[in-house]
Amino acid sequence: MQAKSTGGHLTTDEQATPFELEVARLIVEQLHLETDPAAIDPVAPLFGEGLGLDSIDALEMSLAISKTYGVTLRSDDPRNKEIFASLRGLAGFIAASRAG
Amino acid sequence: MTAAPLALIDRPDGAILFDTPAGRVSAAAFLAQARALAATLPAAANLVNACRDAHAVALGIAAALLRGQVSLLSGDPSPATLARLAEDYPGAAVLTDADVHAAIAGAGQAGGPMPEFAAGQPAMVVLTSGTTGRPVGTRKCWGELVARSRAAGERFVLAEDAPAQVLATVPPGHMYGLETTVLLPLHAAAAVRGERVFFPGDIGAALATLGGNAVLVTTPLHLRAALDGARPARPPGRVISATAPLDPALAARAEREWGCAVLEIFGASEVGSIASRRTVADDDWALYPGVTLALADDTPMVAAPHAATRRLADRVALSADGRRFRLLGRDTDTVKLAGRRASLAGLARLLMEIEGVRDGVFVAPDDLDRNPIARLAAIAVAPGLSAERLMEALRARVEPAFLPRPLVLVDEIPRDGLGKAPRAGLLALLAARAP
Repeated sequence: MQAKSTGGHLTTDEQATPFELEVARLIVEQLHLETDPAAIDPVAPLFGEGLGLDSIDALEMSLAISKTYGVTLRSDDPRNKEIFASLRGLAGFIAASRAG
Repeated sequence: MTAAPLALIDRPDGAILFDTPAGRVSAAAFLAQARALAATLPAAANLVNACRDAHAVALGIAAALLRGQVSLLSGDPSPATLARLAEDYPGAAVLTDADVHAAIAGAGQAGGPMPEFAAGQPAMVVLTSGTTGRPVGTRKCWGELVARSRAAGERFVLAEDAPAQVLATVPPGHMYGLETTVLLPLHAAAAVRGERVFFPGDIGAALATLGGNAVLVTTPLHLRAALDGARPARPPGRVISATAPLDPALAARAEREWGCAVLEIFGASEVGSIASRRTVADDDWALYPGVTLALADDTPMVAAPHAATRRLADRVALSADGRRFRLLGRDTDTVKLAGRRASLAGLARLLMEIEGVRDGVFVAPDDLDRNPIARLAAIAVAPGLSAERLMEALRARVEPAFLPRPLVLVDEIPRDGLGKAPRAGLLALLAARAP
């Protein structure tokens, strides 16, 4: 019997950076996704299409990010569109907020 | 006998109804804004209220009443829902936040005499998507809405000398959000923060700006996240939760860590809020003043002022005096996620409608009622289709909350001689492939 996982993702030639891969692992682990973190396209959408996350996931993700990196997500952040657009956007925001 | 007409707003002129990024809106200013908006509405029998902030939603409803129009509201104002509404209500106008903000830009601080509407005036149709994909509407007249706001004000002891400062994580188009963040301030001592909060960080920041009488209107999902996040510097005075049963342990934790009472509202889109309880103290739900519940052959029927008698989807046991009830559990086909109800059989039907799917079932995990982040699972037989393609097709048919996680493709679904797929077999199949 063959079982396949969910979590469709568009594939491009983009390579994830080591930090992006670390954030991808955190997301996959926290949200119980069945996707291989290394297979997440860093520029594909996280929500809706792409990885297919929804608002329940967004909330879970915010907790994991706050616990792991001490970075707080906010609804009124003007950069949100960029932050939630892709793994690259999210990892970039976390890296910048940690540094700042 | 005709019921007396009911005022649009029953608050002192200077009472704050909404606290918005553009400033605080008093009762008198709200009326001026509602009149300004009403003057700009196109002639139409129905007005699709697609606004996303509570203040704008409330103005849309008020302006529609002034024009004798019926507001159409949906908890899910997505383009797909709006398109379906346009088909079901031809000629309906659509109102957005931007329309409202443009219309009220020049509105003054006083709107003249307070308008009154007959209790029986049709005010809105609240749409729930259900599982068929087609929105199902419940009609609400003005009297029903006003009576329910007053009942809530009485139940939660809201008083003008210290109005509640309402902060919500729920959207204003969902019936629960509509009652608590849109309609409540018109007839009970509450001021609503117009912007919705979502992340724990939002809640903490917003609470810091509110007075001591802050009420967090939320759901088990958001409450759990808020408690897992950083502790707010100034916790709310009260928490109100609805949409799903609140785990008593979670309620106790919130009461302990935040030093506040955690109350739960019981309701459904069709009947609205009908009862409440303090989760840590009561198993039973106390009916709102004026709301009655009766069993007709085990089917609970809800009656309320100016409202049609409606059926409740849950099984209940009534107390001897009829003022309290206890839930006896849901039927096994109905699931509730993210405040929306769906039928497992209905979801399976949608799955099997997808071309290439030979068989399919949806399975609810055992902890669905306790675990706010629990998800449904689905099992499908679809030779030639990948899980990715199948998810894509499901996404177009099923609301996000009901999308399966995992979606498992198999050669055969374990069905018995009657064609039924016993739950134990499905759970075993899912467990066998868990990591």
